[in-house]
Amino acid sequence: MAMDRVLLVDDEVSFLEALAERLQIRGLEVVCARSGREALSAVEEQTFDAVVLDLSMPGLDGVETLRRLRELRPELQVMILSGRATVQTAVEATRLGATDIFEKPTDVDTLVERIRAARAARLAHEQEVAQESIDEIMRTKGW
Amino acid sequence: MRDDPLRGSDREGVLFFGAMGAGLSHELSNIFNIINELAGLQQDIVAAAAQSGTAGLARVTDLAARIKAQVDRGEAINRSLHRLSHCIDDTEVDFDLGDALALFGTLAARAARLAEVDIDIRPPETSLAHRGSSFDLLLALHACMRVALAAATSVRRIDVWAEEGPSGVRVIVGSGDPVAGTDGDPSNAAVLMSGSAALGAAPRIETTPEGECHIVLDLGSRRTVAAEQADERKAEV
Repeated sequence: MAMDRVLLVDDEVSFLEALAERLQIRGLEVVCARSGREALSAVEEQTFDAVVLDLSMPGLDGVETLRRLRELRPELQVMILSGRATVQTAVEATRLGATDIFEKPTDVDTLVERIRAARAARLAHEQEVAQESIDEIMRTKGW
Repeated sequence: MRDDPLRGSDREGVLFFGAMGAGLSHELSNIFNIINELAGLQQDIVAAAAQSGTAGLARVTDLAARIKAQVDRGEAINRSLHRLSHCIDDTEVDFDLGDALALFGTLAARAARLAEVDIDIRPPETSLAHRGSSFDLLLALHACMRVALAAATSVRRIDVWAEEGPSGVRVIVGSGDPVAGTDGDPSNAAVLMSGSAALGAAPRIETTPEGECHIVLDLGSRRTVAAEQADERKAEV
């Protein structure tokens, strides 16, 4: 069975490395990005079950990265993991489609649980899209 | 209408102090979060080692070094916060410009990093003492940095240094990107003037023949108490 694949996005390298190791120990496949731009490149090239995204980053901040990620892959499950999420940014992130907002420090097992749920949601979404395609073919081809 | 309880320059000072305190607090939070994850990772490694019957000592030793590095980083930030808090104590005191610039470098690091601008604080080659308020200097430098960061769109590099000029000591914030002069950008003028009001040295913007932009703070030649005492001793001899 394929492993759950997660993209971790944070400009604090030490944090990124430690959290990545902890997720790997729990059986997840982890790709790290140190900026919003790196995250966008990774999502353009690879498939992820979930993205765990920091808000305060140089260059593209978390909210802007989230907006562009969702434009690129509307079905992408993006979670916010931030040290200082304000109510305003949390509302904005939710409006842009973030599935969860976690405040640092967070319980790693809860995070893993949500990433696994995100994988299930992604697979369900793919199945739904495939079913719609089949239904469309059935309708138009008249089989 | 109620009078503003703070004078303009006091208000600038409080805003600056608040911004710096919030930035340093954010950096400290980052460090605590890293230490939290490293501690969790250590627990994971020990649990895995206990399960598999292996020692895992090398990894635990590596983690201890990583935790120590974060503690050192946090301690440096805390020292800067402490120095910033105490530089308000005296408005007329001898201080070393190299030390003040080093503190400013720590305070400005986060804003520069978030703006993706490289900042280089160049210590004076020889000790440069000055008399006045180091807080007022930091406040004025903060205003210069805000203007320089906003203008840093291409070269994205800022150098800060102090030097002896013809009319005394001056501190320079140099940018590879053009910075609009106070006459060219009213918002720059407002930031620079309000930030430097307490210092009493209006910043000038100069362009070098190489195309670099210098925001210059002329601090003048204020004799330090130490220099005056040395002169008195010489006279007595």
